[in-house]
Amino acid sequence: MLDAFSLLFEWQNLLFLFIGTALGIVVGAIPGLTASMLIALTLPLTFHMDPVSAVTLLIGEYVGGISGGLITAILLRMPGTPASIVTTFDGYPMARQGLAERALALGIMASVVGGIISWGFLAGMSPTLARFALQFGPWEYFTLVLMALVMLAVLSQGSMIKGLLAAALGMAFALPGIDSSIGQARLTFGSSALLAGFGLLPVLIGAFAISQILRDAATPRQEARLDMPTSKLPIYARDMRYAPKLLRGSVIGTWIGLLPGIGANIAALVSYSTEKQLSSEPEKFGTGHEPGVVAAESANNASIGGALIPLITMGIPGSVTEAILIGALTIHNLQPGPLLFQNAPEIAYGIIAAYLVANVLMLMLMWGAVRYIARIVQLPRSGLMAVILVFCVTGSYAINSSFTDVWVMIAFGVVGLGLEYCRVPLGPFVIGFVLSPIAEEQLRAALMMSDGNLLEIFGRPYALVFLVLAVATVAWPAIAVRLGARARADKAEDPS
Amino acid sequence: MLQISRKIAAIGALGALVLAMPVGPIGVQKAAAQDFPEKPIEVIVPFKPGGRTDTVARLIGEKIQSEGLLNQPMAVVNADGGAGANAVNRMRRGDEDGHTIMHWHHQALIAMAMELGDFDLEDFKSIGYTGGGSPVWVVREDSEFDTLDDLIAHLKQNPRGLVEAVGIGTIPHFVGSMLANEAGFETRYVTANSGADRLRLVLGGNADIALFAASEYIAQGEGLKALVYFGRDRLPDLPDVPTAMELGYDVSWANPNWWLAPASTPDETVAALGAALEAAIGDPDIVEYFRNNTLQPYWTPGDEAMADAQKQLEALQAVAATIN
Repeated sequence: MLDAFSLLFEWQNLLFLFIGTALGIVVGAIPGLTASMLIALTLPLTFHMDPVSAVTLLIGEYVGGISGGLITAILLRMPGTPASIVTTFDGYPMARQGLAERALALGIMASVVGGIISWGFLAGMSPTLARFALQFGPWEYFTLVLMALVMLAVLSQGSMIKGLLAAALGMAFALPGIDSSIGQARLTFGSSALLAGFGLLPVLIGAFAISQILRDAATPRQEARLDMPTSKLPIYARDMRYAPKLLRGSVIGTWIGLLPGIGANIAALVSYSTEKQLSSEPEKFGTGHEPGVVAAESANNASIGGALIPLITMGIPGSVTEAILIGALTIHNLQPGPLLFQNAPEIAYGIIAAYLVANVLMLMLMWGAVRYIARIVQLPRSGLMAVILVFCVTGSYAINSSFTDVWVMIAFGVVGLGLEYCRVPLGPFVIGFVLSPIAEEQLRAALMMSDGNLLEIFGRPYALVFLVLAVATVAWPAIAVRLGARARADKAEDPS
Repeated sequence: MLQISRKIAAIGALGALVLAMPVGPIGVQKAAAQDFPEKPIEVIVPFKPGGRTDTVARLIGEKIQSEGLLNQPMAVVNADGGAGANAVNRMRRGDEDGHTIMHWHHQALIAMAMELGDFDLEDFKSIGYTGGGSPVWVVREDSEFDTLDDLIAHLKQNPRGLVEAVGIGTIPHFVGSMLANEAGFETRYVTANSGADRLRLVLGGNADIALFAASEYIAQGEGLKALVYFGRDRLPDLPDVPTAMELGYDVSWANPNWWLAPASTPDETVAALGAALEAAIGDPDIVEYFRNNTLQPYWTPGDEAMADAQKQLEALQAVAATIN
């Protein structure tokens, strides 16, 4: 491990890590462009680099890309990457209240802490954790995602009916495409363009960024500009009180990241909902509540460290980004898997070391640049939105080199605008869209596996725990109301 | 204010640069004086970046450029989604003179057999195969089955008694079904959409059997046990794993790296592309990559490849009929 660090500190590796992290932050911050796109685009460049440099560049891009998303999520309510959807919930309201720098500072600190804690798991417990994650089969995945879905009800602001409506609508839009449980087209109406379904990124960019651009275009007088940021990033000693929240967010993020196929966006969502459930003032979430930003950002960064665990110990990529990382390694005749530590320890430990250093670089870069970046809220909206629109179109096109995705993005911009107009929250809509395909696929896989026997879930302890938590989440509001009533009644009866 | 705008513009330009960088031709070589190609050739890969099909396309494209096998570079474009439908749609919108081609494999035939997209063999002209590889059928290392015969005997005694991790309508599903039809057994399925999913399900004990590329199996090193190899001959890297043919089952599957052009592409152009690909697959660097990844480097000319694909498609259609 020490060797890996000393190798990493050779100037060219450090330079590549720095370039990668910086590029990642910029690309991550731009709505429409994501870390996986950046990594796919730089992949051909790594062919001619030595493997350690290639890996450091890509890891830097990965960490930077997930972290950068918080900037636009907080300042413009446009998640720069899917991982920062949840950051918009409290980050943007904070910015509206003139607390933009505070939100950014908290987001950055939470990201770094999340990254470092999950690095601890990665460096110290990889084999154990990977073995644990492998026990998760379709039942566990299904109940875990079900639990996250149920938390939607908790997430929705204001009317619960509208929240559930939004979630149902999101789920409905997730239906078209190839039904992976039978390999047949579903609800494509004979269109080969719809065979691929609606992509996550076009839907996400549409619902958040395009709808915001349309709304701006339709508003004759611009909204009051946000206050000019001062050039101080406010982090105080009293922020130590967030330590337990950071730890909780990081652990949740790492553990969800461990599960291949479940990524940073879901990690942030589960962490946020958990924090809200545990909070003594849950009504404040969604109105610019600091713990909301902390919970989301610590978890989404921590999920990277978690996702690297099955990658380096088993060669199982947890996301598209990591699949590309594996591609980069095979070009250099390195096959990730248990043998990597024997065959190419400098790479295996190099990944681990690069992940830690990338987090530190990310902190330095973002801390240094953020006060300037925060000023984008002061720019004329018309110009800013035009630039963002260009990136949204380019990014949507670039995912699959298909113009269909651009039309999908625009269509979902209109949908997003319509939902906002009816005061239906966007969060549950997008999350329903993200989660329901996983839940459906895993439930059907579980039923295939058990020959249709639902009772098999009782032989699955972890699945059962998730199921109980899901039920408790639904039942909790009713129970809480009763408990509250009883407590008040007790107090009233108390003679003193 | 102005300063900040400039900063934003710089960030934007940087982003645009990143987007444009790998797509543009890096250095145009003037090796041979030919009419074709007149501009960079677009190679459409119907998968996300990073997989084998993508990697092979990029390596061969690089080799063709660095050796000056064609006087224009190749630019790989990834168009994932819809079981290849996105990629085929893109090919149809492109040139029909050899400047837009595809690099795919026999998943294309499976999509045709399942009648998923609106494309068929008639939509393509085959440029050729640049090598390919065959998969293994794998159980966990601590499994009670040491040979394929043990496994089949168990499945005959306990029909649907073992779980196989497959993506429905993908290569693992079809190869497994071919063997099951041939040997007369049945498994239960659990959906696994990628090699990563299959690996985690088998290693975690949530599935008993799965199909892997031989290279994936070898890289895993521990925890898995290969029972049968689906190539025609034993793989030198896995001398102890018998082929299905040896064990008396008439099942083999070789998944080639298949280069395709739109059906109306002129024959001379296809021949020019074929010649460049044939030279590239013979290059020592490419051969080394193939050998290290349990792929066989060979060249099958367009017509021969098409005839092979036609035969394979018929076999797959027969399997598809038993699946639905």
